[in-house]
Amino acid sequence: MDGTDGGRRDVAAGQTGHGRSMEQKTAEPAVGTAAGPKAYGFLTAVESGPHGIFGGYLLVDALGRPLEFHCTAPVKVSRAQQILFGSTLQSHLHGQQIGATLLAEATVAPEIVLIDSQPMLHVRGHTALPVALVRDGAAGDEAAIVGGFAVGGAVVSPHASDAGRVDDLRERLTELAAAVDLREPFERIRAAIEEAQRH
Amino acid sequence: MHPMTSDAKDGRPVQSWRGPQLALPAVTVLPRLAPLVARPAALRLPIDVPRPAVTRIALGDQRQVVRSFRFQPSTAPAAPVPPKPRPQEPPPAVSLAIVMPPEAATAEPAGEQSGEQVGQGVEPKRTRIAPPADVVKLSERFFYLLQPDLETMLQTSSLGFPRQPFPFQFDGMAFLVPRHGAVLADEMGLGKSMQAISSIRLLVRSGEARKVLVVCPKGLVSNWTRELADWAPEILVAVIEGDPQRRRWQWSLADVPVKVANYEVLVRDRELVAELGLSFDLVVLDEAQRIKNRSSQTSEAVRSVGRRRSWALTGTPVENSADDLVGIFEFVAPGHINERMSPKAMGAAVTDHVLRRTKDKVLKDMPPRLNRDERIELTAEQRETYRRAEEEGVLRLSSLGQEATIQNVFELVLRLKQICNFDTFTGESAKLDCLEADLEEIHASGKKALVFSQWVETLGRLRDRLGRFGALEYHGGMSTAARDECIKRFKHEKKHSVLLLSYGAGAVGLNLQFSQYVFLYDRWWNPAVEDQAINRAHRIGAAGAVTVTRFLAANTIEERIDEVLRRKRDLSDTILSQAEAPAATGLTQEDLFALFKLAPPRAAVLRAAA
Repeated sequence: MDGTDGGRRDVAAGQTGHGRSMEQKTAEPAVGTAAGPKAYGFLTAVESGPHGIFGGYLLVDALGRPLEFHCTAPVKVSRAQQILFGSTLQSHLHGQQIGATLLAEATVAPEIVLIDSQPMLHVRGHTALPVALVRDGAAGDEAAIVGGFAVGGAVVSPHASDAGRVDDLRERLTELAAAVDLREPFERIRAAIEEAQRH
Repeated sequence: MHPMTSDAKDGRPVQSWRGPQLALPAVTVLPRLAPLVARPAALRLPIDVPRPAVTRIALGDQRQVVRSFRFQPSTAPAAPVPPKPRPQEPPPAVSLAIVMPPEAATAEPAGEQSGEQVGQGVEPKRTRIAPPADVVKLSERFFYLLQPDLETMLQTSSLGFPRQPFPFQFDGMAFLVPRHGAVLADEMGLGKSMQAISSIRLLVRSGEARKVLVVCPKGLVSNWTRELADWAPEILVAVIEGDPQRRRWQWSLADVPVKVANYEVLVRDRELVAELGLSFDLVVLDEAQRIKNRSSQTSEAVRSVGRRRSWALTGTPVENSADDLVGIFEFVAPGHINERMSPKAMGAAVTDHVLRRTKDKVLKDMPPRLNRDERIELTAEQRETYRRAEEEGVLRLSSLGQEATIQNVFELVLRLKQICNFDTFTGESAKLDCLEADLEEIHASGKKALVFSQWVETLGRLRDRLGRFGALEYHGGMSTAARDECIKRFKHEKKHSVLLLSYGAGAVGLNLQFSQYVFLYDRWWNPAVEDQAINRAHRIGAAGAVTVTRFLAANTIEERIDEVLRRKRDLSDTILSQAEAPAATGLTQEDLFALFKLAPPRAAVLRAAA
């Protein structure tokens, strides 16, 4: 279907197989979206008991279909880190160690990076891309939203650095929000990370 | 004392200790006395101590290992693909059967239900396409896991449906789409063909399948073309039929994504298909139990077709024995299972390839169905008539020895079953006595009942005795107009509490969900037909529970047949790991001989079971 099946023989000839994506382990710099489709980033971290924290970054097109996926090996927090970073530990782990690392791996620059947890907002300090927090919210209840906006059943709250760009960010998300629930791609990332742990 | 300082150069916390400089206070004295009291302003006491070890604590400077996966945008399922143009007019001598859009197809698919009738107001379901177990590479598993849910894919690709599918039908599509080998074994009436067509549509629209072949029994070709027009109106379809020249041209059509052929045509054109070098992205077999016999021409012809994906649709993957499923898997996933495996091992092996749902499991809004097996003791005279007929019949079969045919056995079974209904000499019927008692109550409460029998003659006798309940007859011997009138009267006139139907005419196509009771006066050979009959009343739209009473004459051929059918259901359950048995597990000629403890002779070649 994508050319990677080209070498596969037919079932009648006794062989089956699948082949769809390319795995690349070398980091590439972001190259922008000038020539490609619009991209949107979904960045999250998943705590997995004894393993540690996994980071996942999914880039999708305007129809919500995957373009790229990057995930980290589990990050384990030491006792010394817990003591010395104190209350800043989560923002350091999510924002810098996981978030910034994953954003650096992407080959396309998204319109916006959407996150689903407060500590990940700190990734904004390591990227020029706009970052916004997505959470459940009452659709249409604009009055209850301070500094953000409602999209479907979700509320989008930009990082303080992007507070003056609410209209611009809302506009950027219009096309994607018409296709997918903005909370949904995070479920995919979690499913993929779960799969990666089993693999 | 300041025993610890930090090293300002690299900011590391460093433990160190320096000896103090002892500064004494300055003393003012007369100048002349100064030499006398002169002493050093400071006293240095160098103390040499070992330099302590430095402990370095790394705080977040380790490089994270990242795995990256990139997907080609065009590979995503349901990527919008513009509809292909219709092929040019064929030469005059041949013609292309093009399935027209929905306006040409007004008939409701038989036995199909629509999801829009249930589940309204419920949170929309997200159906994920899970990677099949045989997809091993993580990158390929991610390909599926990272796709949007099926509902979103369909919505963003503008793939509308004429009727809203049920959630379980979305699950069926999510099962089929990623699989190269799949058996969709849903119970009859759950929309296997609709699920297959919608999955074909997804693959065609995404460019993943460009050449699809659907193979079905001859009688279902028109059903398939109608359903394809209904559920995938933008996809061109060619029906392979007609004379050899016409078929050659139809097989050769390159720009028609879906071709439909019946099994007989495929067997006939096997060499032609090979000669043309045809290979398909997907081959779908409907009523796939047709290929359960691996050595049959049909099975060989089907398996010889080159293909990347193989899907089998059947409501009865295990009809008689586990070998049936092995036969189907020779097409779906050759060599994956074999007849030497235990039912349990076979069940485990096919789990990822087989999807089976029953109505009870998936149609939550269906009214409850209460099954009641009524074991009837024949009257004394009926019993005597039965005994004599059986003894004489078995003696005759024994005397025939190797000359006995399945037809001889079949005739005896029919005769005994008829006696179970009515004593052929006295007209007595223990079943009818029981039925009358039930109908008294049903009639008094203003409810409606359906009574099924395999004999029109039995229906006539019942009508005579059940006149006070306004009994009406419905069977194949009546004209279409008379049958329509009968249904109309039964539905609208309160005095008609009972409708007597033959299995042949009344088991399909009727919507009688205003009936609360179904009686199976005698049993059909194949439970699938019985289920179809029951489904006339027990279907979506029924007002309440439907009570199904199956009459079974105690210690007769009816009980023995029931026992055989039960055993087959159990075997099928074990393999398919489902609580509900497949709808059809019919009797074979071996089964019929075994009813009388007779071994089937070699001459018995007729297949008696429907």
